[in-house]
Amino acid sequence: MIDDHPMIIEGYKNTLLGENQKEYQIKIDIASNCDDAYSSIVKSSESVPYDMLFVDIKLPPSSDGSITSGEDLAKHAKELLPKAKIIILTMHREDHRIHNILKNINPSGFLIKSDLTSSELLLAFNNIVKGKAYYSSTVNDHFRKMMTNKFSLDEKNLKILYHLSRGVKTKNLPNYVSLSLSAIEKRKNQIKEMFSIAKADDQKLLEEARKRGFI
Amino acid sequence: MLKVSLKYLCIIILMLGFIISCNNKKTRIEDQDLKYNLIDEFINKGKNSELSNEERVENLEKAYGIYSTLKDNSMKVEKIHQISFAYYSLKDFENYKKFNEKALELSKSINDSLKIAESYGYLGIYYRVSELDNAYKNFYQAEKIYSSINLSKYDKKEIAFEHGRILIDLARVLQRTKNYSESEKATIRAIESFNKAENEKFLSICYTNLGILAKYMERFDEAIDYHLKAIEYDENTKDEILQKTISYNNIGTTYKSQKKYNKAKEYYNKALLSHTEFLEKNPKRKARLIDNLAYVNFLSNDTTQIPELFYKALKIRDSIDDKNGIATNTLHLAEYYQSINKDSISKVYAEQSKGISLELQKNEELLRVYKLLSEVSNKSEGLEYANQYIKLNDSLVKQERLFRDKFARIRFETDQIVEENIQISKENQILLIAILGLTTLSLLGYIIFRQQQSNKELLFAQTQQEANEEIYRLLLNQQIKLEEGRQLEQQRMSEELHDGVLGRLFGVRLSLDGINQRANDGFTDARNKYIEELKSIEKEIRLISHDLGAETLPSDVAYIDAVETLIKDLCGVHKIEYEFNSDENIDWESINDQKKVNLFRILQESLQNIFKHAKANIVKISFDYVDDKINLTILDDGIGFKTSKVKKGIGLKNIASRVSQMSGVVNFLSTEDSGTTVSVSIPL
Repeated sequence: MIDDHPMIIEGYKNTLLGENQKEYQIKIDIASNCDDAYSSIVKSSESVPYDMLFVDIKLPPSSDGSITSGEDLAKHAKELLPKAKIIILTMHREDHRIHNILKNINPSGFLIKSDLTSSELLLAFNNIVKGKAYYSSTVNDHFRKMMTNKFSLDEKNLKILYHLSRGVKTKNLPNYVSLSLSAIEKRKNQIKEMFSIAKADDQKLLEEARKRGFI
Repeated sequence: MLKVSLKYLCIIILMLGFIISCNNKKTRIEDQDLKYNLIDEFINKGKNSELSNEERVENLEKAYGIYSTLKDNSMKVEKIHQISFAYYSLKDFENYKKFNEKALELSKSINDSLKIAESYGYLGIYYRVSELDNAYKNFYQAEKIYSSINLSKYDKKEIAFEHGRILIDLARVLQRTKNYSESEKATIRAIESFNKAENEKFLSICYTNLGILAKYMERFDEAIDYHLKAIEYDENTKDEILQKTISYNNIGTTYKSQKKYNKAKEYYNKALLSHTEFLEKNPKRKARLIDNLAYVNFLSNDTTQIPELFYKALKIRDSIDDKNGIATNTLHLAEYYQSINKDSISKVYAEQSKGISLELQKNEELLRVYKLLSEVSNKSEGLEYANQYIKLNDSLVKQERLFRDKFARIRFETDQIVEENIQISKENQILLIAILGLTTLSLLGYIIFRQQQSNKELLFAQTQQEANEEIYRLLLNQQIKLEEGRQLEQQRMSEELHDGVLGRLFGVRLSLDGINQRANDGFTDARNKYIEELKSIEKEIRLISHDLGAETLPSDVAYIDAVETLIKDLCGVHKIEYEFNSDENIDWESINDQKKVNLFRILQESLQNIFKHAKANIVKISFDYVDDKINLTILDDGIGFKTSKVKKGIGLKNIASRVSQMSGVVNFLSTEDSGTTVSVSIPL
């Protein structure tokens, strides 16, 4: 279990150990930062590999700066512990992040902390143990939204929309999305075309994006 | 130069005076005119020979009375000269002298060179009768002035004519004191002057004088030529006959001196016979001619009409009391009687001549009388007369020398005064140049000072504007910094809430939930309720965190914030409601500070106008972005004004000038009682 808040780990433990103690023998290692987590993963890959990893996205980065989040950590884990089930638990519920995580990690479990209750956690745990993926309703919503659109937006486009929706000006977007201003403008126009609101302003674009569930 | 400069100074002072006393001037001029008219009238009456002498004097005294109230100027001198002439015509020479002395004094006090010279000339005329040295002095002074006068200011001919008159007067004084060569020089200069003046009136007198001088210097042929020339100049003038009479007489006398008695007789007769009518009216001249003719006859031993002619002349002279003539006439008779050895009769006439000659100081006659008496008297008396003759002769020689010395001294003294004047004028010139230089310098200094001052003012205005802009830049920067700081703080709080508080809360909730699943004490539902509550708190915190984390447009907002603060503060103070809208599409960060400052100022100015004049309840302010232009609209619901009626005050002018600085357009729309709209459109 990787989370920088001991209280959260405590919560996980309380949930899992309380009910499931009877069915499974659960042995839990905890790590509160990327360094500890990585070393534990490496250690276990050399001895007894973990079956399951609880990964928080927002984590203190590793001291050498190579691992900055749970996302990076999960990527490493997938390589080192290919058999391990990875469960992402995160406070972030933004579409583009969800989208990203799904795409990059394809975790066995994807739980949004704010939705999570202990019963849901147990349900997810049990499903995953049985080899079934479990996603939070928010994540499922995201899937549904993605499916209803005939097209999908890539991560960058989503990011653009997300930041715009936060009130960031187009000209400041290069600070948030690693693209040049002209590229961003181009993408914005592409999105507008895709939404078939070609000449609309940003306000309209955001409204449409919200309607279509990209934000 | 001095006089010119002084004149200019006088003119400047007069002009100043004129400006100061502009109002009084008119009445004073009228007053002066009246006085001049009156004084002219009195003088004319004073000159009128039909009136009795008493009346004439009375009028002249009245004229003088008015004269003394006149303002000192050249005209006033003119008037006193005229009064003096009137006295001259009355043969009141003492008053003539007195008034000319006054004239001289006045001329000196007003520094009128021409009038000074004229006054000297007139005084000379007074003295030339009996006080030759004083006459010389006055004429010489006048001559000096005429020689050195600045001709550019006056009528050159007039000056030359006056100069000539003075020169001929001087020449005649010199002639009478036997300064023949000096006199000749003066006469020639007089002729030159009259030629310059193109006026021949006095040329006959000049040539007559030259003739007399030539005779004294024994250049007889020349003398005769001069006298003939004198007649030429007066040909066809009213003085022709007079001049002929004089010249023929003089020619006769010249021939007499040459002992060409027949020639002399010829000319005396010519004079006597050709103008009998004229001579009847001039008995004095007739008598002289007859006497001269008789004397020549006597000298040439032609005694046919002698002594009858002498007696004829003497009779005329007795009848008109021509003492001068009588003195000569009796001397001639004495000589005649001596020649025919009638010593006793001769002595009687000689004694008579002596008496008159003594009286009139006719020294030449006296000398001849003494000589004659010494011959016709008995021994002791004769000796006495001989002594007297020698004494007189000596004294005459002395007197001649004395005159020469005196004249030399006068010349010297006058020249000295002139030199002093030149010295003074030089000093004055230097002073004047210095004053002018100083004035120019100070003027220059003042101009430079003003220039610098205005430069300073401009510079000051410029720096002030720069400072103003700097202040606004700083203000905006401050605002931006403030905004950034707040942003950072919000971000921090957002993250703190999201990652810290929310995480821990989640952990707590999950733990509680976990425990709750296990416990079966009948309170599970109640606890679930609180767990749900915790979840909703989480959600709320997350929303807050999200809101806090949302970027609030840093720098752009800073300017708009500054603007809104301004509006809020001002409206707050004046208790007016406001609405403010700013188009989000305006990229304030890319707009230069100058424009931002100007817009800020325009807004400020407009608001001031609204607060001061409009009596509005609400102001609506908006920044719109249309076609690459920023439109600022300030609208109020106040009393408005008639755009045509209200002259643009400094406020509106300021706005207009600021807008034109940014090559924008401004419109003031207002009708009475329906508010005012100020719309400014600035291209980006």
